[in-house]
Amino acid sequence: MKKVSFLVSIVAIVSTLFAFTLPAGKLVSSKTHIKFFSHTSVEDIQANNYTSVSTIDPTTGDVVFSVPMQSFEFEKALMQKHFNGEDFLDTKQFPKAKLKGKITNLAQINLEKDGTYQANVEGELTIKGVTKPIKEKGTVTVKGNKISVQSTFNVTLADYGITFVKGKPASNIAKTVEVTVHAEYQPE
Amino acid sequence: MTPKKKKILKIGAILLIAGLLIGGGTVLYMFNMPHRNVQNASVDFSLSASQLVNEYLENPVKANEKYLSDDGDSKILEITGTVAKISDDFNGQKVVLLQESSDKAGVSCTYTQETNQSVSSIKIGEKVKIKGVIRSGASFDPDLEMYDNVVVEKSSLIQQFVNF
Repeated sequence: MKKVSFLVSIVAIVSTLFAFTLPAGKLVSSKTHIKFFSHTSVEDIQANNYTSVSTIDPTTGDVVFSVPMQSFEFEKALMQKHFNGEDFLDTKQFPKAKLKGKITNLAQINLEKDGTYQANVEGELTIKGVTKPIKEKGTVTVKGNKISVQSTFNVTLADYGITFVKGKPASNIAKTVEVTVHAEYQPE
Repeated sequence: MTPKKKKILKIGAILLIAGLLIGGGTVLYMFNMPHRNVQNASVDFSLSASQLVNEYLENPVKANEKYLSDDGDSKILEITGTVAKISDDFNGQKVVLLQESSDKAGVSCTYTQETNQSVSSIKIGEKVKIKGVIRSGASFDPDLEMYDNVVVEKSSLIQQFVNF
């Protein structure tokens, strides 16, 4: 009887230890920077967003970004108003954009070992209620218990129903904009 | 040319120039229009962090209609709540999370480089009143598998409630 209770307590201790050492759930980031950059011969336009939230599931490789669209800030107030307006991103109807993907080469990334790894991400991007497949590359950096992700990719505005046929926006906004993503994660 | 015709021409020319000046000035102003100064603007709604979060969780469509604006200059809020977390963002701005322990989500208030200073005096667990502009609401996100907080930016500290 004594032996049994001894065994039980050993099992209890070991399982408690394991519960603490196993990778604990999702990595969460609320420290993010998303920038978009548009270049035309007329002008360069950029906007910055620091309020997105992201998660990475280290066991499945699932990556999610939730982006509050009204948080994009422009140098010029008028541009920001146009960006939010119905003709551009209609942020009142579609307050958030979302990236939902999966790291396809998870086996090559060791989140417990310092280093820089290339991550291939496949999934979908939803902007203004329109969802399109994406396949992009990113960099995962592990340093101590800090994990950060960086990626730059292009988004073609017309894919998401954002088109300009005349006037200033048509000549001053690029058809394809460059999006830069940076996020720093902590275990949940 | 009769003096009468001359007079009409003169008035016409003056009107044309005035029109051009006003029109040109308006275009220039519109193009270089400054951003709305959230700190100086008047408050649209004054409420608690709990109230705001629950309005969004109960009816997100109605809450967006009430708080968000088409042009992105959404409602200016004065929010009272308990400080649950203080952090920094990538732009060197302080972020104060107001959340009650009984609520599923909170209100994330991003300060500005100009208003950052006032955060140094507040502590976790304190009750404060913060003013800022709402950017997006709270919701459960099935992909993140967690609750998104209400996002408020251009924040400034209005009042600090002293605990006795």
